[in-house]
Amino acid sequence: MNGLPQAVLVRRGSYHDSVTLMRVSRALSELPGVRAAMVAMATELNVSILREMGFDVRDAGPGDLVIAVRARDPDAAVEEAGRQLTAAHREQPGPEEQPPLTTRSAAARAPADLVLVSTPGEYAFFEALDAIEAGLPVMIFSDGVTTAQERALKELAEARGVLVMGPDCGTAVIGGAGLGFANVLTPGPVGVVAASGTGAQQVTCLLDRAGAGVSHVLGVGGRDLSAEVGGLSTRRALRLLDEDPATELIVLVSKPPDPGVARAVSELRLSTPVVPALLGAGAPDLTHATEEVLRTLGRPVPEWPSWPAWRGPRPAPKRIRGLYAGGTLSMEAAAVAGQGEFVDYGDDAFTRGRAHPMIDPTLRVEALARAAETDVVLMDVVLGHGADPDPAASLAHAVARTAACVVISLIGTEGDPQDLHRQAAAFREAGAAVFTSNAQAARHARSLL
Amino acid sequence: MTVSTHARRTRVHVTGAASTAVRPVLESQRRPARVLAVFPTGVYLEVRTELEPAVIAVITGGAVRLPNAVLLATPLPRVTVGDEASVGDRTIELGPMSLSVRRWWDPSPPLGRLDPARLAGAAELLRDPPGTGLAGNAAVDLLAHSCAKGWLLGVVTAAERLVGLGPGLTPSGDDVLAGLLVALRHLGLATGSERAQPERAGSERAGSERAGAERAGADQAGAERAGADQAGAERAVWLADWLAATVTYDARTRTTPLSATLLHCAARGEASPEVIAVLRGLAGHQPLEPALRHLHRLGHTSGADLAQGIAIGVTAVLALSGAR
Amino acid sequence: MSTLFNSPPRVITVGAGLLDEALRAQAVPTSPVSWRPPLPGTGDALAKVLADPRRREANELAVRRLTAARPHLVGLRRASELLAEGTFLHAGPPITWERASGPMRGALIGAMLLEGLAGDEREAADRLAAGAVELRPCHERATVGPMAGVVSPSMWLFEVRDDEHGGTAYCSLNEGLGKVLRYGAYGPEVLDRLRWMDRVLGPALAATLARTGPIDLRSLIAQALQMGDELHNRNRAATSLLLRELAPAVVEAAPGEAAQVLRFINGNDHFFLNIGMAAAKAATDAARDVPGSSLVVAMARNGTDFGVQVSGLGGRWFTGPAGVPDGLYLGSYGPDDANPDIGDSTITETSGLGGFAMAAAPAIVRFVGGEVSDAVRATRSMYEITLAEHPVYQIPGLGFRGTPVGIDVTLVARTGLLPVVNTGIAGRVAGTGQVGAGLVEPPAEAFTRALLALAEASK
Repeated sequence: MNGLPQAVLVRRGSYHDSVTLMRVSRALSELPGVRAAMVAMATELNVSILREMGFDVRDAGPGDLVIAVRARDPDAAVEEAGRQLTAAHREQPGPEEQPPLTTRSAAARAPADLVLVSTPGEYAFFEALDAIEAGLPVMIFSDGVTTAQERALKELAEARGVLVMGPDCGTAVIGGAGLGFANVLTPGPVGVVAASGTGAQQVTCLLDRAGAGVSHVLGVGGRDLSAEVGGLSTRRALRLLDEDPATELIVLVSKPPDPGVARAVSELRLSTPVVPALLGAGAPDLTHATEEVLRTLGRPVPEWPSWPAWRGPRPAPKRIRGLYAGGTLSMEAAAVAGQGEFVDYGDDAFTRGRAHPMIDPTLRVEALARAAETDVVLMDVVLGHGADPDPAASLAHAVARTAACVVISLIGTEGDPQDLHRQAAAFREAGAAVFTSNAQAARHARSLL
Repeated sequence: MTVSTHARRTRVHVTGAASTAVRPVLESQRRPARVLAVFPTGVYLEVRTELEPAVIAVITGGAVRLPNAVLLATPLPRVTVGDEASVGDRTIELGPMSLSVRRWWDPSPPLGRLDPARLAGAAELLRDPPGTGLAGNAAVDLLAHSCAKGWLLGVVTAAERLVGLGPGLTPSGDDVLAGLLVALRHLGLATGSERAQPERAGSERAGSERAGAERAGADQAGAERAGADQAGAERAVWLADWLAATVTYDARTRTTPLSATLLHCAARGEASPEVIAVLRGLAGHQPLEPALRHLHRLGHTSGADLAQGIAIGVTAVLALSGAR
Repeated sequence: MSTLFNSPPRVITVGAGLLDEALRAQAVPTSPVSWRPPLPGTGDALAKVLADPRRREANELAVRRLTAARPHLVGLRRASELLAEGTFLHAGPPITWERASGPMRGALIGAMLLEGLAGDEREAADRLAAGAVELRPCHERATVGPMAGVVSPSMWLFEVRDDEHGGTAYCSLNEGLGKVLRYGAYGPEVLDRLRWMDRVLGPALAATLARTGPIDLRSLIAQALQMGDELHNRNRAATSLLLRELAPAVVEAAPGEAAQVLRFINGNDHFFLNIGMAAAKAATDAARDVPGSSLVVAMARNGTDFGVQVSGLGGRWFTGPAGVPDGLYLGSYGPDDANPDIGDSTITETSGLGGFAMAAAPAIVRFVGGEVSDAVRATRSMYEITLAEHPVYQIPGLGFRGTPVGIDVTLVARTGLLPVVNTGIAGRVAGTGQVGAGLVEPPAEAFTRALLALAEASK
């Protein structure tokens, strides 16, 4: 299998972020005549992956770029990689310009309202600290920030009166601007404070569907309501939304908080009503919580769109396999289904050295191929900014070919760039049942057993 | 940006952000449109539709975010006045460009609750904006007096005389009316807002008994004033409704297409961020003076005319609520 | 009042380009940071140092002192007033005779001969090898010296006082270009010139300064920057300005020697360099010893090692091998003739001058091997690793923006960007003198080591 010629090129001190590199790697792999290709920073992890792929990488460090190709014409492929990397580097600065190299520098140059940090987790602390010291709110998309660092950042932010969203904050929407993985939402009266990214996406997509509209979505990070962090960001986010005239009602999306923290949060005096959407044993699901919000606003609760599978269930499915990209959605589905094996492919364990499953479908495509005839595969497909521009293009084929019966929870809005209806149609055509409510998808999966 | 080749010509797919005011037009069936005007930072499209806004501003960079605007993330395409375009099916086709929206903004964001006492304090700053297009005009004076008295016939008469009055793409008369419409609607709603009042009053519980007794008296006076505010606010909104009906009735035949569309927007409380910023300043959500200076700088006289309209609205809301 | 809900927010993005693109597609204005991972092996130390609660205020204090200093040239002193008998000072971090490079050895030999401690070159070398003279870094004695920076007891030193904080700093007198002691030359003409400086120049200048009173160097340097000097490799304007200040008083103080003194100063475009270095030393010393501060207070080379000192870490040196400068060579000299980087003159860069002010000196951009745009970019890049912009030292070509000043070790580690240093190049063989001038890159490990030490000392 290693019969083709290969080329390994090391570019010293040439840094590109992992998502860009993954996209270039994928584009290279799809070229005719290319058997294997990887373009990555020469971190320990990546070098070991390259070795497993049979490439010999020597004398390269984490600051160096490696282009490794096995192909009929490896040199042409390497050249193509170079071309794509240059294209990825937007607008080259003029000969006298110096782009900012730190958040501190960027903040000193021009007025800004927010910093979005998505560096590798071990370095996110530096940039977030710069933001807070410059008096700017910060969204930390990166995961892998330690609890001690999170606490330190949030305490400093409290002293300076700025908001820290995250770490591991996957989504935020501010004044309609979607940050990270976020959906195209209609402006409206509901503000969201979320300790869970995909949980917030489910709630806001359903609200958008119901015509309720969203003012802002402020993420706080999954650990914010733990005893260690103490809900510092949640409290600040609630106060911010309370002061915001556009917000008439606040939804708090979270796993069950630490009781002490829950008390501290509930003691806040807010003039805006807060509807909790808590997850976990005994708590109602997110769809139910969203319906509660609509009732509080005095708005009708619509039918949540779903598209049944055109092929009937296979003989006697025996178990549910959850293949999720969103951790909260996975948790919710597992709780609603009450059984089955659920894997959260968005977990740190799967995203080290590889892009998030909302961008990179590889692992779930492989899992679909492995699924048995007696399985019901329950999976989420999340649309919106930052996500795969056309998830059906890579996943629908795998759905059509899997032996299992597939139920999809499609999280998105009418305004999303991927076109919700086209995605639903593609998955349905591939044989899946498609739901816009994750809880309903999970119930449907259970009903198939 | 992606480029795809069609049989006839290359279409460039671009994205941007848009005011929710244009959403109904954009999401309905595709309709033909034509280029009405071209500026370095914007292109105005007239859409063949009964819906409003019938004129859509496709803008870029530093252009004013009009309430009928779609903001491009990329440079404007090269087009000339009279070029064919189309709007609908979630897309604007203009020259080689096919534009879809990735973000929506609200051109009429709620102001929240506003204490008329605060409004009275800020009203001084609004007096006599510099460089208005219709300084000393009798119709403007009539409009101001009639609004303050809540005299509907005078308001309608003045408005009839002002629609389309003045030169340019947005005549001064229309700008004054637009500023007034937006101010009456938002400030009327904000001073009459029932939402926050009871909670705010109930949230202060600390204090000795004596202080408590004093406060009881103050609370009673406050409640009476709140009642008067409520009635005045309702009259401001009522006035806005009538004024809106008057100016939108035949705006399309009486003023420029762009100005007619902006009057329709103003009738619904929709305005550019510069106007909204002044209202937010009046409500104490942001500093008022920089917002006012910013508004004054808009256009040739447009900013000052809008500010004059807002000033008339503020005076009216205060007068109607009995604060003056 | 939070501007967070300004619609839409203006966003600084740092990290994945995809997320920046997603915002731009929404017509949200973004400022992307051109982020790259920190220097290898610094991640954990950076986390510790940045988390130190003292850091921010300590750095603010240190850099405020650095930029607030008001150095004045107040007089001249004999080095013997500062030095114990049998001690020579030298440039850079501590060095022994064994590890000393050619020009350093040459200068030490010259000083032995000048002081009458040896009869000839061989005897001088033997005695130095035997440890007859104690070698100490200039920086330990509030002194700086260009190139080899050798100071022996009989030499005259400029005395500069910081009127703001009261500190004092010293620097030797500049001998001119060509074969000079500071480049390791010690031939008869070198020693003759030094003796003339000892006998004539020193006393004349001392008497001159007694008449003029203190000369405000902060204002003189600020003017020179606006006249095309960067105060390290170009000192022509500063020297001229100084000469204007001094000339009448020289004539009055030393009428018999005025012509030779003025001719000597006028004949040496770098005469001001040493005075500027003492001014820089006075300013950087004011920023020393602020606990928790990661500000660099000295960068210096001894021809073998490049060393840095950090405000929060006292007098400790953190070193790496000195690099060979990249630049233009005089006559038939080439890179093979060049000695590794040497001298305390990097004190100018430490205080926001020299390479950091390169954009002020378009006249010498070719001399340091580039175009005007390279000079502008060099200065612009230094804002990335510095804590402040100098309130008085300004660059006309950048809209009178203050020069980048106050190198922060954490910013060097985070950006991987090393200080830009303009320098002269010494011949590697003792006695050769200057062979060229150019740019040199400090070794990253000096900064990495300083950072690791800061991490150990952090709270």
